[in-house]
Amino acid sequence: MNIINKLKTKKNDKNIRELFRRKLDGAEIIPDPSVNARLMRKLARREFIRFNPARFNAYYLGGIMAAVFTAAILFFSDKFNSNNQNNLTSTDVTEKISGIKVFDVPEASVIIREQKEQQNVSGKNSSNVRQNGNSDVRTDRKVLEKESNTIAPAGIISNIPKNNILNDSNSESEKLLDSKVKGDAKIEVSALSGCVPLKLHFNVVSSSFDSCSWNFGDGGYSDKRSPDWIFDLDGEYKVVLNLFRDGKFLETSSTVITVYQRPQARFEITPEEPVIPDDEIRFLNYSANAIKFKWSFGDGSTSGLFEPTHRYSRFSNYNVKLVATSESGCSDSLIVMNAFSGSEYFINFPNAFIPNADGPSGGFYSNKSDESGQVFHPTSSGVIDYQLRIFSKFGILIFESSDVNIGWDGYFKGQMVDPGVYIWKVRGSYRNGESFVKMGDVTLLRN
Amino acid sequence: MMSDQQIIEGCARHERKAQQVLYDQYSRFLLGICLRYASDKAEAEDILQESFLKIFLNIKDFSGTGSFIGWLRKVAVNTAITHYHKNLKYRYHVEIEEYVSVETGVTSFEEDFFTSEELFKVLNELPTGYRMVFNLYAVEGYKHKEIAEILGIDTNTSKSQYSRAKAVIRDKLEKLGKLKSSYKENG
Repeated sequence: MNIINKLKTKKNDKNIRELFRRKLDGAEIIPDPSVNARLMRKLARREFIRFNPARFNAYYLGGIMAAVFTAAILFFSDKFNSNNQNNLTSTDVTEKISGIKVFDVPEASVIIREQKEQQNVSGKNSSNVRQNGNSDVRTDRKVLEKESNTIAPAGIISNIPKNNILNDSNSESEKLLDSKVKGDAKIEVSALSGCVPLKLHFNVVSSSFDSCSWNFGDGGYSDKRSPDWIFDLDGEYKVVLNLFRDGKFLETSSTVITVYQRPQARFEITPEEPVIPDDEIRFLNYSANAIKFKWSFGDGSTSGLFEPTHRYSRFSNYNVKLVATSESGCSDSLIVMNAFSGSEYFINFPNAFIPNADGPSGGFYSNKSDESGQVFHPTSSGVIDYQLRIFSKFGILIFESSDVNIGWDGYFKGQMVDPGVYIWKVRGSYRNGESFVKMGDVTLLRN
Repeated sequence: MMSDQQIIEGCARHERKAQQVLYDQYSRFLLGICLRYASDKAEAEDILQESFLKIFLNIKDFSGTGSFIGWLRKVAVNTAITHYHKNLKYRYHVEIEEYVSVETGVTSFEEDFFTSEELFKVLNELPTGYRMVFNLYAVEGYKHKEIAEILGIDTNTSKSQYSRAKAVIRDKLEKLGKLKSSYKENG
């Protein structure tokens, strides 16, 4: 009998094997067209990164052309610049004239001019741009210049290097430090305006004195020749420098520093616990003193809207960032890390526990009362529907709970069950409607 | 019409056209393989895409000895195995219901009785571990010892998984068979 049965299964086995091998080997299934599209996109991305000397891809050619173009502009503007110094253009003339005016106004003895020692390319570049001085080259710099005009006393020529002030960034203060604005007369300052907190470096440009005193206009003083000062409140400050020789007052200079208020980037995400990717997420903007906003949602997409909405294509923990920029170009940013971690639903079970030997506890637990792990229970988030069943090795149902707050205390019919492995199975659903079915084993240990 | 050789050479030079031709010619065949290893078509398409990326990346290593289609098939199967390993942690446990072994009366299945769609569906519904072992043993023709090495399991596990898989399949086919013949009788 046994042998016949065995033969039967052998035959049966071969039968199923043959069936699947003949029917499915070589079976063709037509893939969704989107697979092709996705694949080709991926390949294109790889191809983009891969340098191919044989074909010399268009983008590399484009890159080289751009580089050559930039180099050409640098070269020619440099030439043009040296020409300019000989043959004054009309703008230069007016500047010169206003420069002369400066000397007529006794108060404004501070002439700030770009530092000539700057050897690096960027410094040179900015000086070129400035001296060519024609409207088309400087787009954002126009604003900048206007600002500096309002700051500086009438007629002061202020040449400000390109890479500072309104260009807010983390290394702002460092940048400001290495690009100095040099006064012809007495005060040399690293910048005339900037965002709070503004750290500036001052220097006296004169050798005909033996002591000096600075008054920074915000209540701060210094006797040093080249002090550093941090303005930590916004406003306009008149910095006054007095020079002395042999104990006698020699002369005074002053300049006005404008410190811009920094905006505050603030936002909130709604709904608080969204279901991703289903829900459209709204970003509520509570920023202050800002006119321009740049959002990055963490999945690579960005927005410039005041209050954007966004839909994520899949669930993940995204870092949402807002950069708010004020009228004066100062900016502030706020990043919410793992913005949607609160909406991550989970249920996890331990793989071992030690029941309380003193008797059944009823399975109630809280994180405080069950520190020693005497109740078998899950850690979970967002569970609304729940059914836990625990089986012995022989398939006998020994525990059942439909309350996520009641776990298994290790007792069955008032008796603690034998130590060993038990099988659990749970089904239920999360707040977002997603259902879960999980199973596993748990080892019951004894002290 | 490009020959296999032209396609291979084109792909080795990263030519988009050759890649597209390769995809057009073999994607249906390869998806047929992937679908045996997946729980649904979407997962199969994911495996298919990974397979093609591997194929395009490694096509210059295809030696030319042996059949091209055999090489493609091997890449797809290996990708499916890698995919299985990657997702292993989510699938460690096996449904309790499946522990109950199935006793059957019918012993043979007519080949033409079931369509390949139905057989695919039966495979897709299997627990992942069963499906891997069944595919590798029954369709691909690996030995249990090889399967144990590939999947990182014990040889005996492979054997027992295979026999359980078979039992589940047999049960499903019988149910399906009864359903189908009742349709036939009524209609």
